[in-house]
Amino acid sequence: MRNLMSFRSTLAALTLIALLISWTNAGYFGMEILAEIAILALLAMSLDLLAGYTGLVSLGHAALFGCGAYAFAVFTAFWGWPPSLSMLAATLLTGLIALIVGSVVTRVQGIFFIMITLAIGEMGYELVFKTRALGGDDGLAGIPRLDLSAIGVDLNDPGVFALALILLVAVCYLLLKRLLASPYGAILVGLHDNAGRMRALGLPVQRYQTSIFAFSGAIAGFAGTLSAQHTMFISPQLLHWTTSGEVLVMGILGGLGTLVGPVIGAALITLLRHELSDLTDYWGLWLGVFLIIAVMGGKNGVVGWLEAGWNALTRRGETSKQSDRSKNDAAG
Amino acid sequence: MLTDSGFWFVQLLNSLQLSMLLFLLSVGLTVIFGLMNFVNLAHGSLYALGALFGYSIAQATGNMWLAFILAPVCVMAVGALIYVLIIDRMRKAGPMKQVLVTFGLIFVFLDAQRYFWGSDQLGVTSGIPFSGSFELFGEIYPSYRLFIICVGLLVFAALYLLLEHTRLGAEVRAGVDDPETASCLGVNVERTFFTVFLIGSALAGLAGVVAMPAFSAEAGMGVSILVPTLVVVVVGGLGSLKGAFAGSLLIGTTLTFGQVLIPSFASMLMYALLVAVLLIRPSGLFPARG
Repeated sequence: MRNLMSFRSTLAALTLIALLISWTNAGYFGMEILAEIAILALLAMSLDLLAGYTGLVSLGHAALFGCGAYAFAVFTAFWGWPPSLSMLAATLLTGLIALIVGSVVTRVQGIFFIMITLAIGEMGYELVFKTRALGGDDGLAGIPRLDLSAIGVDLNDPGVFALALILLVAVCYLLLKRLLASPYGAILVGLHDNAGRMRALGLPVQRYQTSIFAFSGAIAGFAGTLSAQHTMFISPQLLHWTTSGEVLVMGILGGLGTLVGPVIGAALITLLRHELSDLTDYWGLWLGVFLIIAVMGGKNGVVGWLEAGWNALTRRGETSKQSDRSKNDAAG
Repeated sequence: MLTDSGFWFVQLLNSLQLSMLLFLLSVGLTVIFGLMNFVNLAHGSLYALGALFGYSIAQATGNMWLAFILAPVCVMAVGALIYVLIIDRMRKAGPMKQVLVTFGLIFVFLDAQRYFWGSDQLGVTSGIPFSGSFELFGEIYPSYRLFIICVGLLVFAALYLLLEHTRLGAEVRAGVDDPETASCLGVNVERTFFTVFLIGSALAGLAGVVAMPAFSAEAGMGVSILVPTLVVVVVGGLGSLKGAFAGSLLIGTTLTFGQVLIPSFASMLMYALLVAVLLIRPSGLFPARG
């Protein structure tokens, strides 16, 4: 177990280094892609808290992502609030909405939960799509970025913005890792493994599930505020089920329940989409195929494959006891 | 307008017709879930496939009745393919992974349908049976929509007889009630599941091809119908024919009358209903298992 933890930390460090190296080599377009990867990595990590660690597979996570983006846009572009305050308010608002939604959806489990989150996510999409005040299907433009010129940082420069986002993801990774190492994190894993037994131990299961739903939703909303600042334009597509699906693919392809896996998945899927969209109009087809392969592949995504390879290398001949959770993971 | 009884009667017929489409879709989903704890999220894609197959068959032969018969058969074949290639192989992986795989299938189907049929709305204009209309309380109503309602009611009656009076029906009921005991008693639950999966796929295809002349067909129609269908399944309660029927009527009525009364937020009413049912009766109105 200890070995495995350090393996994942190494992997996370390597991922960060890879992102930083590509940052030093990236041109204008590369910076845009790096920023996109960082934002989606944050979103995918937040979903990992739910789907990977707590075992609550949500298909409506994009709605919370979009909620953060739209709230940020309304606060800044409509009401003229400063971006820093708007980011905070949008994150809190999304967390609050996730708290309310979570208290309802956690009443049901398993496949019910999947269906309900998909339905409620679509409700959010439809609501935004049909609300003229929010731009409807035209979306909203004219969203400002955070102004850090006071400390000599110009976020309107694509390179600076991308670097800031990459570092932000690294900080969030460390914070979440700390959270998951706490007793609270242990409870989440316990809920994933056997919610019934946790209840028998006297744990208010639904309250904990609601709390992580709200927390994860707040992070998704935070990622949404970043996305709004990145593109400076938002559309209902942010809330669409295809976005939820894409983020889920990132998590599963990278490895759910590993925290670093979703980051790797976000990088892989984003790169693949940019490469493939030049070649084909049918990106969704490929995404679906990736999802099916990743789920049917058995192992826990890229991180799972790497770990299996690493174990084979270090403990050759030894009967390796897999005490690791990744085996029954991948939303099992 | 709002005090006109003819207008309300037309809306009532509209809601019945939507309910019947939802019923055709949800009944397959709910019984499969009851048997195997498994939900095929690509069920809506099969609905779209039924409409698109139906369109192509009607275009090629000019015979809509042939489309009504052949399209469900084609969709059933696709369902069999999904089962053999994917779902059967995922047996041991557990229901959660199976559901995720079918979620991937939605993406695949959506783009495959766009590839073969394009993204435009496709409609058949000639050769539709019951293309006339009739007058009721001073309102003109297309006969074809009445035909949709009849198809739904006929399927409900047929499924009721199948479930209550045949060996397969008894096996399905036993399997939904308690899969383990049923298989101990010699019921081949796997085979029953396969049969039900095929019937469910065919019914989804039937819903698609029957809906096509009234609403036209397009690649994205599968996803937009999936969400109300899932709501029907959850509201109605899993595994039961009665639940699917009652849920369909409830959701179909809510959506149709919501559209009339508060046009932009009709679907909100549906979600409000969903939340209310979840809060009061988390297992749905008529769950098959207590």
